[in-house]
Amino acid sequence: MANAMLHQSVGTLQLLGNSGTHCEIRNNSVKLIPKGFKVEVGVSKRGIYSSGEGKLGVIRASASQTSVVDPVLAPSNNGIHESRTKSNEVALILIRHGESLWNEKNLFTGCVDVPLTKKGVEEAIEAGRRISNIPVDMIYTSALIRAQMTAMLAMTQHRRKKVSIIMHNESEQAKAWSQIYSEETIKQSVPVITAWQLNERMYGGLQGLNKQETAERFGKEKVHEWRRSYDIPPPNGESLEMCAQRAVAYFKDNIEPQLQSGKNVMIAAHGNSLRSIIMYLDKLTSQEVISLELSTGIPMLYIFKEENFIRRGSPVAPTETGVYAYTRVCNLLSASFSICLGSP
Amino acid sequence: MATNVMLQQAAGTLQLLSSCGIHFRVGNNSVRFPPKDLRAKRGSNCFGEKEFSVIQASALFPSNEESLKKSNEAALILIRHGESLWNEKNLFTGCVDVPLTHKGAGEAIEAGKRISNIPVDVIFTSVLIRAQMTAMLAMTQHRHKKVPIFIHDENEQARLWSQIHSEDAIKQSIPVITAWKLNERMYGELQGLNKQETAYRFGKEKVHDWRRSYDIPPPNGESLEMCARRAVAYFKDEIEPQLLSGKNVMIAAHGNSLRSIIMYLDKLTTQEVISLELSTGIPMLYIFKEGKFTRRGSPIAPTEAGVYAYTTRLAQYRQKLDEMLH
Repeated sequence: MANAMLHQSVGTLQLLGNSGTHCEIRNNSVKLIPKGFKVEVGVSKRGIYSSGEGKLGVIRASASQTSVVDPVLAPSNNGIHESRTKSNEVALILIRHGESLWNEKNLFTGCVDVPLTKKGVEEAIEAGRRISNIPVDMIYTSALIRAQMTAMLAMTQHRRKKVSIIMHNESEQAKAWSQIYSEETIKQSVPVITAWQLNERMYGGLQGLNKQETAERFGKEKVHEWRRSYDIPPPNGESLEMCAQRAVAYFKDNIEPQLQSGKNVMIAAHGNSLRSIIMYLDKLTSQEVISLELSTGIPMLYIFKEENFIRRGSPVAPTETGVYAYTRVCNLLSASFSICLGSP
Repeated sequence: MATNVMLQQAAGTLQLLSSCGIHFRVGNNSVRFPPKDLRAKRGSNCFGEKEFSVIQASALFPSNEESLKKSNEAALILIRHGESLWNEKNLFTGCVDVPLTHKGAGEAIEAGKRISNIPVDVIFTSVLIRAQMTAMLAMTQHRHKKVPIFIHDENEQARLWSQIHSEDAIKQSIPVITAWKLNERMYGELQGLNKQETAYRFGKEKVHDWRRSYDIPPPNGESLEMCARRAVAYFKDEIEPQLLSGKNVMIAAHGNSLRSIIMYLDKLTTQEVISLELSTGIPMLYIFKEGKFTRRGSPIAPTEAGVYAYTTRLAQYRQKLDEMLH
């Protein structure tokens, strides 16, 4: 338990450190560097806690273990990938891409590789602002450009200076040609892995058809079935169930192990592949997942802790007041912090 | 020019015009098209031959069908991507797949504004995200409403899954073809190294050799000559035939792959290509006509006064775009 609190408090220390605050912790004076990322905090509904011993007693000025902590604060701790011990909690960010050119034209898209509109580009950048303070160690996207662009545009807003790099292993040559020859550089990179298993649901014979036309041709009922049932696929296409099968399998086989090893992960994908994953994370029934609508461009945060996925809602952009804290201790400290600053 | 060919091209033109419900004057006849599909079948003679003599037999709106005939001229746009995250950090990038910075994204959009009035029928990019994003961001600014669509043929499933089942949608699309042969020069063991460090480690001379010579490759990397070989071969085999068939082409790629292609287009010597520096985010326009490439400089953004027309055909294209909006 103390371990957990340590991790949480380190996150809090970052907040204090952000403004160069001199912080009295037990018998040690800790001066924190004005750099590092901010953790969004707000006033706790439970009221204000004084910096009493009970809650804060276990804070120690050590920033070495948790993966929620941004290594910027502890610049010497560079062992991000290799020497990572099992960590208590990590962040999982899900982002659904924004408007694509066929959304605009109201055509069934599925796995046709259609890019973003101007608006979709902005949605990606906006999403990026919202997650600019949340650590990201690995990125997963689908094989479709709209998800990849969303991820890369979002990361242009990220405050930490690591560089996203797309992995290539389609052939021996691709692998050889994309090699990096500097350890330092590798450490400063965030691998981006593209996977068709994270693609949008494949819409078969409907891909490219106008939604209106299709309703006229096949009848509204049939189309509604294909679009909104769990297990009825359109002709030569996937049902939501089939999509979920390959998306969740991929998540369990490839992404969950990363989270277990302490890596913070971001997934940029599509309505149906993300719904499928959320179905797994939140243990939804097929009825519930059918009615689940994901906003575009609004990132969803989960905390993975002790094999559980805890939904944490959508991070709010740093400029907004009244943002809530993700964990209890952060909350407590931030409340006292905001009192010191006299903020509302 | 064979009237048959003119008819086919005109039919392509008519399709586009008719989908906007445009009232169109042809010869002495006024032709009005209903706002929905005019699917003039090829070779049909619902319009008399005479009436088409006033339409210039150049690909005003070249159709997307496979069997295009030789056209008078086609536009070729080259865009070098803007700032990447490793440019910013001053690291040798080569074929490491590093994305654009916020600034690089801005450069792409700016480039897009400059070419927003020039027709594009097919796009070629490298397999690296920074070139692909540059192309897609640029195309968000394009005035005509066709949709770029990435072609997937890495395996059977990819091909199958990305199929489009609407003729209409296919016609309104601009295929985007990704090719590793358009990648940046592969920098071998320098990839990821700091330019300063590398100079210290190997000596400034050696590094200068690798970077600026024509035929000396860095360890396990490509020389400019090797890069040029595969880039120009790809251009000749895959891109030039498109231009010959009248398709307007855009290539979004990298400093060295584009220099190589320009070396071919402008018939430069190795000395000349070494000293050729391409601006990032500034599109370069070539007109391909009768087997020749004519350099037309860099299109200026439409907001600037005094934009000049490159050819009558392009001026007409732009005019049509203007009319479509009203």
